[in-house]
Amino acid sequence: MVEFQPGEERGKDGRRIIKVRKENLFETLKRLKSEGYIHLSLITGVDRKDYLEVVYHLHSLEKNEYISVKTVTYNGVVPSVTPLWKSADWEEREEYDLMGIKFEGHPNLKRLFLPENWVGHPLRKDYDLKNVQYINVDEDGEDYATFDQGDGW
Amino acid sequence: MSEWVDLNVGPHHPSTHGVLRLKVKLDGEIVREVEPVIGYLHRNAEKLCENTFFCDNLIYFDRMDYVGAPGMEVGYLEAAEKLLGIFPPERAVWIRTIMAELSRIASHLIWLAAFGLELGMLTPFFYCFDLREKIMTMFVEASGSRLLTNYCSIGGVYQDFNEKVIAEIEEFLRVSPKKIEEINSLFIKNDIFISRNKGIGVLDKETAIEYGVTGHMLRASGVEYDVRKAEPYLAYSQLNFEIPTSTKGDNLARYIVRVEEIRQSVKIISQAVKKLPEGPFFNPKAKKSMMIRLRGDGEVYARTESSKGEFGVYIVGDGGVKPYRVRVRSPSLRNLSVMRELGKNVMIADLVSILGTTDLVFGEIDR
Repeated sequence: MVEFQPGEERGKDGRRIIKVRKENLFETLKRLKSEGYIHLSLITGVDRKDYLEVVYHLHSLEKNEYISVKTVTYNGVVPSVTPLWKSADWEEREEYDLMGIKFEGHPNLKRLFLPENWVGHPLRKDYDLKNVQYINVDEDGEDYATFDQGDGW
Repeated sequence: MSEWVDLNVGPHHPSTHGVLRLKVKLDGEIVREVEPVIGYLHRNAEKLCENTFFCDNLIYFDRMDYVGAPGMEVGYLEAAEKLLGIFPPERAVWIRTIMAELSRIASHLIWLAAFGLELGMLTPFFYCFDLREKIMTMFVEASGSRLLTNYCSIGGVYQDFNEKVIAEIEEFLRVSPKKIEEINSLFIKNDIFISRNKGIGVLDKETAIEYGVTGHMLRASGVEYDVRKAEPYLAYSQLNFEIPTSTKGDNLARYIVRVEEIRQSVKIISQAVKKLPEGPFFNPKAKKSMMIRLRGDGEVYARTESSKGEFGVYIVGDGGVKPYRVRVRSPSLRNLSVMRELGKNVMIADLVSILGTTDLVFGEIDR
């Protein structure tokens, strides 16, 4: 296991990448927003098998500068940034849906794309693609999943 | 006290551009709350990309914004080529610029056609598709395919522009300015069009930035942000063009910004065709037998200005022949999410016209 070191580095394309601990994430983003990085471009989760990496891409319209903020989580929980940006609402829901990252403090953390009772998070590396999933609707209108091992994907 | 009525608009509704469902709360004819429900076209392109070679992933990007496919290819290659360290020769860069701008015009024209239909105008539809057909014939001549071109590839383009394509582009440049003005006059001289769009769906600057809105919607709200200028890619730094903006932020402003974008794109193509350099169109480092052996390491986030807004691709490589993680920033998704604000306290007929100006393509939103 690689120990996570907070600090600053340059990406392959010359962008600044700020690495912070999960506990300092919200404060760092709040400070960056007040410094002019008001455009939240993208929130990404990367499954590194032992831990999850969460990357925030910010852009400053005034300075015309792009930076990334990176954090890691071992239990799949990170603080939500919905109080800072409204666009984070759907982005965090998308990451929760596909990657299974739980955003603490999100007002409505539900799946965005997949049906409500889908089992698993498809972008996780341990997601079994061979196990084909079907979503059915019962008499009350609730979703439930059935599985078919079959030939798989 | 009046009771609110729940109404489902879609998922199969002609004005939702595909499969969007809007959960609407109605108070008489006034919409009080809108909640978009998406995911009907979801096929998880991001996961599919993880299981495919770098060179093969292009086809999934074609199928994102399928009305302007070359623009999506450019977006993916901008990131993938930086990751792999293979760069296209000069001629390929200019060919891609021309293709990206042509796809922008094609996409804007299909939006204009559909937007007219949503407001009950049938005539502009035929005018727009007539002009779009010229671009489609160029795509066929250049790539062999009309809609999903799969034309650009890692290290260059699939084949060179032949003389017929250049002649077709020059013919297009000759006829299009007049035709665009003709189409524009069909809209702008129509009193009903003006009264249905002026002052409707006003999006202020702060809300637009809060919701991550980009593209024509942000520019119509008074922010001069265009990735082609902010972080020039391809050959845009050597081209002379302007970014249209407006401070009104309503439907009409968004329409005017978009039409001006078509004019600017025509201007860009006319400059690019003149500057198109001679030389190879393909980097020999990425020849076909090498394609599946390309290895990428590290991480790259590249942004491009697609016809809908800021299109970002984030690729993480682990040194293998397939990407470790691909993440796509879909501009339409953010433009749709602001509907929750715009759709408050408007008439239900206006909801359709506001939805029309956001220009949604569901291949890209649901991915």
